[in-house]
Amino acid sequence: MLKVDNLIAGYGKVQVLHGISLTVADGALVTLIGSNGAGKTTTLRALSGMIAPSQGTVLLGQQGAGDPSSALENITGLPAHQITRRGVAHSPEGRRVFATLPVEDNLLLGAFPRLSGARPRGEPAADLERMYDLFPRLRERRRQLAGTLSGGEQQMLAMARALMLNPAVLMLDEPSMGLAPKLVSEVFAIIARLKERKITMLLVEQFAAAALEVADFGYVLENGRISASGPADKLRNDPAVQAAYLGAAH
Amino acid sequence: MDILAQLIVSGISVGMVYGVIAFGYQLTFATSKTLNFGQGEALMLGALVGLTTINFLIATGMSTLVAFALMLPIVLIFGLAQGAVVEFLGVRQAMRTKSEAGWIMATIALGIIFKNLAENIWGRDALRFPSPLPEQALSLGAVRIQPMEIAILLGALGLMVAVEIFNRKSIYGKAVVATALDRDAAGLMGIDTRLVITFSYALSSMSAAFAGVLVAPITLTGPAMGGALGLKAFAVAIIGGLSSGYGVVVGGMILGITENLTGYYISTGYKDVPGLLLLLLVLSIKPAGLFGSTAIKKV
Repeated sequence: MLKVDNLIAGYGKVQVLHGISLTVADGALVTLIGSNGAGKTTTLRALSGMIAPSQGTVLLGQQGAGDPSSALENITGLPAHQITRRGVAHSPEGRRVFATLPVEDNLLLGAFPRLSGARPRGEPAADLERMYDLFPRLRERRRQLAGTLSGGEQQMLAMARALMLNPAVLMLDEPSMGLAPKLVSEVFAIIARLKERKITMLLVEQFAAAALEVADFGYVLENGRISASGPADKLRNDPAVQAAYLGAAH
Repeated sequence: MDILAQLIVSGISVGMVYGVIAFGYQLTFATSKTLNFGQGEALMLGALVGLTTINFLIATGMSTLVAFALMLPIVLIFGLAQGAVVEFLGVRQAMRTKSEAGWIMATIALGIIFKNLAENIWGRDALRFPSPLPEQALSLGAVRIQPMEIAILLGALGLMVAVEIFNRKSIYGKAVVATALDRDAAGLMGIDTRLVITFSYALSSMSAAFAGVLVAPITLTGPAMGGALGLKAFAVAIIGGLSSGYGVVVGGMILGITENLTGYYISTGYKDVPGLLLLLLVLSIKPAGLFGSTAIKKV
């Protein structure tokens, strides 16, 4: 699980997040919605160590760890590779696949902490097969360079690469961005399947309606602050949320 | 015609030495966008440490060839350590403070310090390095070639191929490539990219040290041997492109051959000029290098 308390972060002197608190429970799919510039991507970047938060705490619990209260570890301000090695996988904005490496190398790099002994090894080869089952297009293109994939395929690759960590928490930044409508529903179908497998997820999305449809719990981010939160179906029926983010007429 | 062939053949082996050193420039540029301007001094230190080691081993009664073979791993490990020191003292601090030119000054300064150190340990004179192979030239038709020149060619290519295989096949090599492609994304893979940069400096100096003991038996060894080689290899890295593996091989050969031709047909006094002219030409026409895709700095 992920427990974030009063997180403050930004870039240089520009503060973007003004105290974010949120919880992602084990096995839950939590979504963070909000308009452009609200701080969704910055939140994920601060959680995964791509930027260092200036205040607040981030606690991480390993999924399935026996005693939930003792298992929380403070990961605030650790560098990105340390946070990843503790089990936070971040599929970043813009996909950031390694363009001149083959698809399969991209996936293996997702498992780097497991292959280098920084995280329990498990069965990387079997997981690779599982990823190809989940994303059949990637199996077809396993030897192709990642940069030659279509946008949708690159998104699949970025998600699969993050999953190769066997993450305690999977963070997805706008997996639907720039995709054709048909691919968007495909991406959400895969997110629903990951949810069935009880993978703990924090999903950042602009397609608020689709995100709240699939999520258990939602947070609404506005100008770097949480303006509303609650079970996803409650948020979906909240008139204020509907007016602002769900494109409702009234 | 025979003379031309002879000049080309011996140009190739010198060119391969430039190529290996230039390859070292590429290694650090790929991961950190910085270069070790003390690369020539890394070569010199490798050669001198190699000289002391091989003389010690020969004194115990070994043949020169066996002593050379046993000396190699020691020199390679020394090169790795020396590169890591350069990164730690010179580059890391500059990168942390986001200093644009700090690493340039720092690596040049370290190079000068290393040269001074070497002058105090080994003296200023050039020393003879025992050749592990017979010094009598072989005849290939009309062309005469020293066995050591063939060893240089094979050793240089072997090193570059080994690094390439490491990068493609091992997960740690892939981590190096990932860091070169996208440092932030590599961090998200759990890769300690700072350690990768230290490693690439270590590997870079190791390549230079290796080049040092390859070239030492056919030249002389001394604290001053590195400066010109480092500069010429820099020209090769620019000519071949800082991102192209075979660019440094071809670039090195071009420079080695051009030098020989100039030395013979014009004057040995102008030997170094054409390579540097080529460097200026490439910088003004195709700054990414003949085979490269990354310009040193886009302005």
